[in-house]
Order: sequence, then C-alpha cells, then structure tokens
Amino acid sequence: MMIPIAFWRNRRRYYNLIGNKCKSCGKEYYPPVHVCKKCGSKELADWEMPKEGKVISYTILLEPAEEFKPYAPIYLGLIELTNGVKVIGMLTDVKKEDVRIGMKVRATLRKLTEDRDGGQIFYGYKFVPVE
Amino acid sequence: MSRVFVASVGLVPIGDQWHKSISDLMVEAAFKALDKCPWAKPDRIIVGNMFSGASSSQEHLGALLASCLGLKGVPAFKVEAACGSGGVAVHEGYVAVKAGLADVVLVVGVEKMKDILTPQATKALAMAEHADYTQVVGATFISLNALVMRYYMEKYGVTREEMAAFPIIAHKNAVTAPHAQFKRAITLQDVLNSPMISDPIRLLDSSPAGDGAAAVLLVSEKYASKENLVEIIASEVANNYFLVVEREDPLFLEATYIALKRALDKTGLKITDIDFFEIHDAFTITAALSLETMGLSERGKAPRDALNGKFELNGEFPISTFGGLKARGHPVGATGVYQVAEAYLQLTDQAGSNQVKGAKYGLTHNFGALDITTAVHILKRVG
Repeated sequence: MMIPIAFWRNRRRYYNLIGNKCKSCGKEYYPPVHVCKKCGSKELADWEMPKEGKVISYTILLEPAEEFKPYAPIYLGLIELTNGVKVIGMLTDVKKEDVRIGMKVRATLRKLTEDRDGGQIFYGYKFVPVE
Repeated sequence: MSRVFVASVGLVPIGDQWHKSISDLMVEAAFKALDKCPWAKPDRIIVGNMFSGASSSQEHLGALLASCLGLKGVPAFKVEAACGSGGVAVHEGYVAVKAGLADVVLVVGVEKMKDILTPQATKALAMAEHADYTQVVGATFISLNALVMRYYMEKYGVTREEMAAFPIIAHKNAVTAPHAQFKRAITLQDVLNSPMISDPIRLLDSSPAGDGAAAVLLVSEKYASKENLVEIIASEVANNYFLVVEREDPLFLEATYIALKRALDKTGLKITDIDFFEIHDAFTITAALSLETMGLSERGKAPRDALNGKFELNGEFPISTFGGLKARGHPVGATGVYQVAEAYLQLTDQAGSNQVKGAKYGLTHNFGALDITTAVHILKRVG
C-alpha cells in the first residue's frame, strides 16, 4: 500500500537512489541503514548510488498489487549497481524478448503509480536498458 | 528448566471456510486439542497469526480466544512474524513451559485468507517485506521469490522441469492427508501448464491461500507420565537481514542455517539423524533453498535429488509428509503450528497412510517472508 506521507518522507531516496555510506569503513548501502552491517559504526552519511548496473535476475509480474494493476505486466529486475549494491526496481522501455541476465541498465526517474483518492503521483527510479 | 511435551493437537481442514469466522476457526482447533486432554487447563494461550486485522478487521486474538473458551485471568496474546507466526508461537509456548512460567500452554495458529479478495491478500502478504523499499517499486512477495528462483536456475543450470519435482511430491503426499487443502496428485504437465503469476513462478509453484487453524497443547514435565506425548527437544528462532538485496548470497538461507545449527548443537543430533522434515515449501524455490541450506542436498542439486526420490515419503529424507505448504496448504500464520502438529502425528503413529515408519525424530521449519524470521523445531518420540 502506498501511503502518501511515507512516500513523501523518502522521496529524495526514490528519485535519486540516495542511500548512505559508512564514514568509518566506506561501505555503501541502498536502502540506507542505521548501523553499518560491516563494521558496526553508527556514523553514516547520505550517499547517492551510481546509476549504472546490470540485471542479475528478473521477473515479469502478471499479478501485481492493486495500485500497480494498471501497469501490468510489471518487469522487475534485481540489479547490481557498479558499486556492488543490489537493488530491486522496475525495468522500463524494454521489450520482453530483450530482457536478459547480464543486460546493462541505467536508473532513470519515472512515474511509479498514482494515488487514486488524492491524486498524488508517485515518482521514483526505474531502470532502462543501456545501448 | 522443564522438559516440554506436546500432549495433543487439533487440525482444522484447510480451504474455503466462508461459514466460519476467525474465532470459529481458532475455537475449533483449540477444542480438538483440549478435548483429548480433559485433565489439562491452559495457564497460557499464544496465538500465531499474521494479518487478522486486514482479513477480518480483528486484532487482539489471544484474549479473544481465551474468552471464547470461557477462560479468564489467563495470559493470552498473539505473536506475529509474517508467515513464520505459527512457528514463533510454538516457540513462545515452549519458552514459557521451559522457563517454568506455565505447565499447560495452548498454542493456536490461525489465518483467514478467503474472506478477502486476492489483491487484498497480496497487499497483506507484502507487508512481510520492507514497506518503504519493496512495495514502492511494485514488488510483491511472489515477485521476490521469482527473482530468486530465476537467479538460482541460472546459477546452477537447473531446468524448469526439474524445479517442478517439489510441487509434485507435495501434492502426492496430500492425497491421503485428511486436513490438506488439495487432496489430489499433479503431473509435470499440470505444473508447466498452470497460469504464470510472476515468471518463472507459475500457480502450481506457489502455495495456495486458504483458511485454517491448528492447535498444539504444550505441557511441562509435571505431566510427563501422560500417554501419547511427544517431546520438543529443540525450539530455535533466528532472523536474517530483512531485504534479500542486503544478503551476500541470496540463495543461502542464513536464518534457517543458524536456527538449525543451534537446534542440532543443543540436541547433539546430526541432520541425518532426523527421520522427516516439514519444510517451508511456500514456493518451489524455497523448498530447494531450504534443503540445500540444511545440508540435505548439495548446492544446486536439490531438484535433481527430488527427481531421484530422495525426498519422497519412502525416500532417504521425507519432506512435507502431509503435503507441505504447497498442498496441505499455507494459511500463513497457522502454518508453523500445522507443521508441529503433523510432526506429533508422525511420532505417535497417527499419520495413517502418510506414516514415516519408525520415525524417531522430526524437524519443522517455518519462516516469515523469505527466511527473515525462521523457527526450527526438533521433536522426539517418547518411549
């Protein structure tokens, strides 16, 4: 369920893939963490993820949650970014026959869905293939 | 510390139970267990449940059940750990008896999934994942499992046909399980032709939605002379990092590994000493990953082992002996309690045609979401 205020709170993270980075050991995270899972430090700062990566797995979801129904089928990718961080995101501007493991992709800002009652449009990252 | 025994169990057949409320389901399971032990009066009640709020507009299940049973003054509450709620509920009951805080604990797992429509149930199930970072990108619980399934098949070169071995075994075992949701066998073609949900997961790779409730009555060693007891010799719960993407190896179920290791270390048993395994086969992929993490198959080999009969009822390591989550059914918050109840039936020779002959030790394995919270129990025949 998309809760408009919860989305608003994290909008910068969804728009620009902003996670965080450990000030002590340098490990990078998306989503951001409260404590570094590598060294235990609580000193972390917001950090923008690189936008390039590759598909390490994918699925074509035919039965999405209600707010994503108008956009079915949804292409979802498990993406490994160039810094090694893995994220899940929708794949867009891609044909079914072109989706493959190893495909190079780039994060871009797109509409995810909209709130049917209040009309808020939720924007966030999706991945498009890189030629 | 007291030893902990299962004194009786109660199983409600899983399926579409539109004529029964969530209270009706809980009470039916509870009475089935309690009626077999008229000497036992619960001094604690634990209910395992995931989403009664979303499904039945009802929370506060512990006190609700106690009240329905005509009990007052009893510590009674619900525990929630997504699809692992049932296993965690048994664990909480075990802890209370073990610690000497209770002599008779009634543990009930319940889920009402069929009063709501599929999209609502999908939404409720997705709450097991991180709302801020999974649901917002359109991922559902099934789609996460699909990402992991494709990753697994690609990494180990496992074919779609080989993966189908697991639902086929589950359905075969459910045919003669009185409480199972799907008492029918399926074929490879059935799996391959079933509707696609989230490629490569098809309908028959996925456990069904159903209404169900199961009860187990746990007692302390004060009642050790009673008949038909089964001892719980290990009850372990462990967590894993919440997001699959946070894990170094998404194909290794670390919570399962840790909980299992603790359970084996405490009992001095080896995994091969266990006679049957009620595994968390919510999806075809979770069956394979569970068996490989437990060390019953090499990495990437579980589907082929399954095809070779290793996990059949009469095989080397029988799994899902009443059909597992796939065919007995997976009323999510109740599942872990069904598993312990099934292990009880096996270890008291009450499993009918599903009996694993001479079984001495049984293991149950139940997790919330994809191995985020995992409960492992080892049960032992008494006498």
